[in-house]
Amino acid sequence: MSIYLRNILRYLLLVAIQVLLLNKISLRWWASFSDSFPPFIPFIYPLFLLLLPLTTPVWFMLAAGFTMGITIDAFMDTGGIHAAACVLMAYLRTNVLTALLPKRLSEYTNLTPSVKSMGWTPFLTYAAAMLLLHHTAYFIIEIWNFQSIGYLLLKILATLITSMIFVVLYALLFSSSIAKNE
Amino acid sequence: MRKLIQLIRRFWNLILFIILEVVSFVLIAKRQSIQGVDIVNSSNAIVGFFYRKQNDVVYYFQLKQMNDSLLNENTRLRNLLAQNSNVDTFRDSIVRIAIPLRDSVKSAVSDTSRKGIGPIKAVRYASYRYIPARVINNSIANDRMNYITLNRGTDDGISKNMAVVAGNGIVGRVANVSAHYATVVSVLSEGRSYSACLSDGTEGFITWEKGSPDYVTLTKIPLQQKVKRGDSVFTTGYSIFPENIMVGNVARIDTIKTNNTKNLRVRLSTNFRKLQYVYVVENKLGEEKRKLESRNIQIKE
Repeated sequence: MSIYLRNILRYLLLVAIQVLLLNKISLRWWASFSDSFPPFIPFIYPLFLLLLPLTTPVWFMLAAGFTMGITIDAFMDTGGIHAAACVLMAYLRTNVLTALLPKRLSEYTNLTPSVKSMGWTPFLTYAAAMLLLHHTAYFIIEIWNFQSIGYLLLKILATLITSMIFVVLYALLFSSSIAKNE
Repeated sequence: MRKLIQLIRRFWNLILFIILEVVSFVLIAKRQSIQGVDIVNSSNAIVGFFYRKQNDVVYYFQLKQMNDSLLNENTRLRNLLAQNSNVDTFRDSIVRIAIPLRDSVKSAVSDTSRKGIGPIKAVRYASYRYIPARVINNSIANDRMNYITLNRGTDDGISKNMAVVAGNGIVGRVANVSAHYATVVSVLSEGRSYSACLSDGTEGFITWEKGSPDYVTLTKIPLQQKVKRGDSVFTTGYSIFPENIMVGNVARIDTIKTNNTKNLRVRLSTNFRKLQYVYVVENKLGEEKRKLESRNIQIKE
């Protein structure tokens, strides 16, 4: 499977998972405290941007991020919040990667970030850093009220942990098929 | 000029980043304004199609619950009928029905002048029309605005700003419509307040604060008003909803000393987690009312 086709398929798959499955289950922890703990949705679609090849130029990352964000916005009626968060995340991806990887980015040709190529710990660190960026941007724009900073942090943390669980699940599910193709 | 092009090429990524962020923020700003029409929203045909297909699959799993809720609603409506209290949705008006005059000689006077003849009769007609719709997408986890997508659009007679109610409570207001789909701003949205009253007619406003999809706050209740937990809250006819629709029950009472009012935390009777079908309410006299009220505002200015 060529790298373009694989990424397009991944795009469709992630949108489908996010929109048709994850959006339908509004999670909340400690159901007995339903009054105090807000419901939230885990976000798995940023994984599409995380898993683009390392040598992807920044302008393409930005365009891909905007497209993905607008698609999710249309499904979730959020105006442009997802697009804004995604574009920020896409812009800062190279910075996160250069900070995490030992060699310079241009030296990794045709390599995609994955559990197989990076190992569990670096990949999860990378994913957590990127998702933290995305979630922070998303919830700051969404809530837009710094009086309730505790609520903001609570929501970011809860969503981040749950999203990470789904990222690990995705990695476990699809890593074998990726290994076969390579 | 060459320097400018060089500069653009050097900072091309940053420029693109800023452009895309500005576009996003313009979209967000459009969404926040009350009159604003979203450019990307789930009432468009593609998104609506996906949601409808998904709902077609999930629909069967929910049939049991749906049966129960429909049965409950039927019972409630039958009780209402039995009490003969359906007057609320009807409106009386006094008209004179013209007696047709069968003169063999044609009158030179036009027919309109004869309109006032005849006995006075009360004609009763319903001022609200209910359009059933299925919920194909529903969000409760957002912090500012929560939207619901319905499988009905302008083809079914739905237009902007119509009220939406469920079998056992209030749901929201239609925000965007396309030919076959509509999006609804649910009651779980900040900045929207609706008029509501206690069962003795004391009025207040219900607003939603982020955090819980089960509760709204009823504000501006006078301090001397006696309220107990469990008291019911109903809509009034002043905002978009029809009168006497259940909003919920009082769960907590807070006294605000600074302006001598009570804030009541109301547990919604609508279960937004399991919303399956709703009714879009067309108020046939709503347009007339709005026009008259807007004229008042003009006079004041």
